[in-house]
Amino acid sequence: MTRYIIRRILQAIPLLFIISVMIFMLLRSSGDPIAVMGGRRTTRAEDRERLTRLLGLDQPMHIQYITWLIGNDWRLVDVDGDGIPETPGVRKGALRGDFGDSLMKRGVPALDIIVERLPNTIVLMIPAEIIILAVSLAIGIYSALKQYSLVDQLVTAGSFFGYSMPIFFIALASMYIFAVNFRKWGLPYLPTVGMFDPKVGKTASQVALHMVLPIFSMSVISISGYSRYIRSEMLEVISQDYIRTAYAKGLSERMVLVGHALKNAALPFVTLVGIDVPLLLGGAVVTETIFAWPGMGRLFIDHLGRNDTPVVMGILMMISIAVVFSQLLVDIVYAWLDPRIRYT
Amino acid sequence: MKRTWLYTLLTVMVVAALLLAACGQQEPAPAEAPEEPAVEEPAEEPAEEPAEEPAEEPAAPKIVTFAWTQEPDTLNYFYTNMWYASGLMELFACSAWLWDDTNTAYPVLAKEIPSIENGGVSADGLTITINLVEDATWSDGTPITSADFLFTYDMIMDDANAVDSKYPYDYLTSMEAPDDYTVVMNFEEVFTPWMTGFFERQILPKHILEPVYQAEGSIESAAWNNAPTVGCGPFVFDEWESGSFVSFVRNDNYWGDLAKLDKLVFQFVPDDAAQTAAVISGDVDVAFWPPYEDIPAFREAGLVIVDQASGYTEHWNFNLRPDTASPAMQDLVVRKAIAMGLDRESLTDIRLNVVKVTETFWDALPAYVSPDLVPYEYDPVAAAQLLEDNGYIDSDGDGIREDLDGNPLVFTHCATNKEERVSVQAVAQQNLLAIGIDLQTNAMDGDILFESYSNGGPPAVGECDIMEWSDCPDFPDPDAYYWLCSEIPSDESPFGANYFICDEYLDGLFQKQLVTVDAEERKAIFHEITQYMYDNLIVLGIWDDPDTWILNPSITGATFSGVTPFYNIAEWDLTQ
Repeated sequence: MTRYIIRRILQAIPLLFIISVMIFMLLRSSGDPIAVMGGRRTTRAEDRERLTRLLGLDQPMHIQYITWLIGNDWRLVDVDGDGIPETPGVRKGALRGDFGDSLMKRGVPALDIIVERLPNTIVLMIPAEIIILAVSLAIGIYSALKQYSLVDQLVTAGSFFGYSMPIFFIALASMYIFAVNFRKWGLPYLPTVGMFDPKVGKTASQVALHMVLPIFSMSVISISGYSRYIRSEMLEVISQDYIRTAYAKGLSERMVLVGHALKNAALPFVTLVGIDVPLLLGGAVVTETIFAWPGMGRLFIDHLGRNDTPVVMGILMMISIAVVFSQLLVDIVYAWLDPRIRYT
Repeated sequence: MKRTWLYTLLTVMVVAALLLAACGQQEPAPAEAPEEPAVEEPAEEPAEEPAEEPAEEPAAPKIVTFAWTQEPDTLNYFYTNMWYASGLMELFACSAWLWDDTNTAYPVLAKEIPSIENGGVSADGLTITINLVEDATWSDGTPITSADFLFTYDMIMDDANAVDSKYPYDYLTSMEAPDDYTVVMNFEEVFTPWMTGFFERQILPKHILEPVYQAEGSIESAAWNNAPTVGCGPFVFDEWESGSFVSFVRNDNYWGDLAKLDKLVFQFVPDDAAQTAAVISGDVDVAFWPPYEDIPAFREAGLVIVDQASGYTEHWNFNLRPDTASPAMQDLVVRKAIAMGLDRESLTDIRLNVVKVTETFWDALPAYVSPDLVPYEYDPVAAAQLLEDNGYIDSDGDGIREDLDGNPLVFTHCATNKEERVSVQAVAQQNLLAIGIDLQTNAMDGDILFESYSNGGPPAVGECDIMEWSDCPDFPDPDAYYWLCSEIPSDESPFGANYFICDEYLDGLFQKQLVTVDAEERKAIFHEITQYMYDNLIVLGIWDDPDTWILNPSITGATFSGVTPFYNIAEWDLTQ
């Protein structure tokens, strides 16, 4: 297993390098950051030319990538536009932890911007994921055990409805019902937007209160999908002979379900969760935008819209690294769940 | 028992949600100040307590919350072109002058607006002298002097700072500060739009930023850019929580009239529907640029709606560059047919008729628009006849006319994919089809539409026959550079912004107005410009594009400027 892990880590290095090249090329080909700096006024030609040079955007693509990767503090750059590189570069490069300064928030390191928002995403996404997993498991297992019962039928109908709804509809509908209309009707209500009320301050209760609607919106669709998945896996497993044998041996239902059925039904579910977990770092773009939650999803879309390559690269590389290592973790968990699985 | 744990779990979650919602019923600090008695409350202590002065209840702070669709990229005016950043300047920064709700300039740091009459502008227009007030201070008590103005100019011009634009400071040959309260700007050529470009949003504090510049060689990474804790406006920067809000508190050291409000909070709410929900529910007090379809909901909720002209007009630009334009588009007859075939009044339905049709790029500055313009009326019959009379006939019966060479009248219309523009494209397509013109629509992201010539931006390389967007002159100055021949993009000049036409006569007029000192003469030139552009249909107006503000009715004293929106923020107040 140790050799397997080391081998996977070594394989990840060229994989991440290829990912970084592809993402960089895509980002730099998707629009000119200077073009969107105009805001409500178009940037003048001379300013555009000057900024393109000063921000290094006039360099060939491969030079820009190399600068992103290993920096330019080892060579001279042309700052004043006379064609003569005479000023030492200041960038250290991603390999030395310098993802560059944001093109949108000038002078602010891209990594600082990402690190500032990351906790907000973790605060939102981890409780959401825990709730999704817990409720999905509960509903899925119950539905499987009580197949075709009234509760199972209601859960099935609810799942189809929930899974069909687009996230933005659920988010806005829940906002208008529980925040706007409940307040209008004199009922206890929830806040509309934000992570906390700036007038009250960033307290635990404020954050918890503001989390309710975003988590609810994200959970509806995921629970609808995951609970069906768990249900179908459980149905397949509990019809197996070894489950019947376990019952015949006199084991309690709880022991059969947890010790035997769930462990086998969970294997594919672990794969799904393993893919989900690293993507948590990317936040939830639609949910964060609608509820004005200051997370990574909104950060990504805001900076992508401004072609802010350093910040977007930082976010995507962070997620890529997380995906690569989470898949490794999934493989390890697989081996733990199923003793038949061995890695060489 | 087997089901108990499931039911218990679900019950706990429901109860928790209700409890949290009940906690949310707690009103945040009220926006309205509660009525406080002018005299002390009569003492109601129990008999055994010694008589003592009862503590007066502190008044609740007056806090106004704004829904701000975009988070600013910086609070240093010279590093941004974002409206959502520059719009905050009047809160914590100060400038030589501001503009009021009639978009008329009035002096702030300047004793008076320089003019030829008061000697502030030399007779030849090459020297402008600003005399500063002598009691203005930064929020830390440091006097504001001409040194701050000079420092600001030096920082803008220094390439190490990589500011977003050097305009118009690069028109100066020099700037001098002969004493602490005099600023002299020297030009090589007359530059008439100086008032809308120089020191009209922010002055940089020399005593704060010069040490940074000397240590690092640039102010680009200065912490002050994102946390300007020393300012000179009626408010000072308080806090910026990334992605959440930026707040400002009253500047109690303000050298002008103290603000009545205690705090302003700009909460970042990127989604339009969420912004509407927030302002209707009362979670925020002010919203800006709401979706027009929500205006009836705002009215129903009793909110106040304020429109303020900001110089912007939505318009169509025609590609008339001979190297890229289609021959048909270069024919004035075809453009006139388009103008008459487009029902522009019905287009204003897209904006719920809260806007009006415009005729020129300068409709927000009527003094500069030729009084002899006759609007192009919607008349599809006349439009079709005009095409017919000039040889544009549908010879193959497919509903699309062809020119004399048999080329069909097919034009590409480019715009951003903003919903209302897509709606305009759909309506225009139908209108023009009715007169035998095929309008191919192309809606795209703004960063693609406005790509440079070297990166193949569709308007820049001439792929679009008609281009639609909203823009304005150097409002409230009428200057515009779009139609200068020098702005035509090319391999040698890839960033030029003139995607439309190089007309020597028009170019000459624009160059002439830039150096015409006499105001009436300059107006006359613009009358000529607007008439010429109108007669030759270089631009077709669609609608005016005012700034729209939604306010909680408890806010009083609030008016807006189209140039410096929060010019009177110190006078805003909250009542019950």
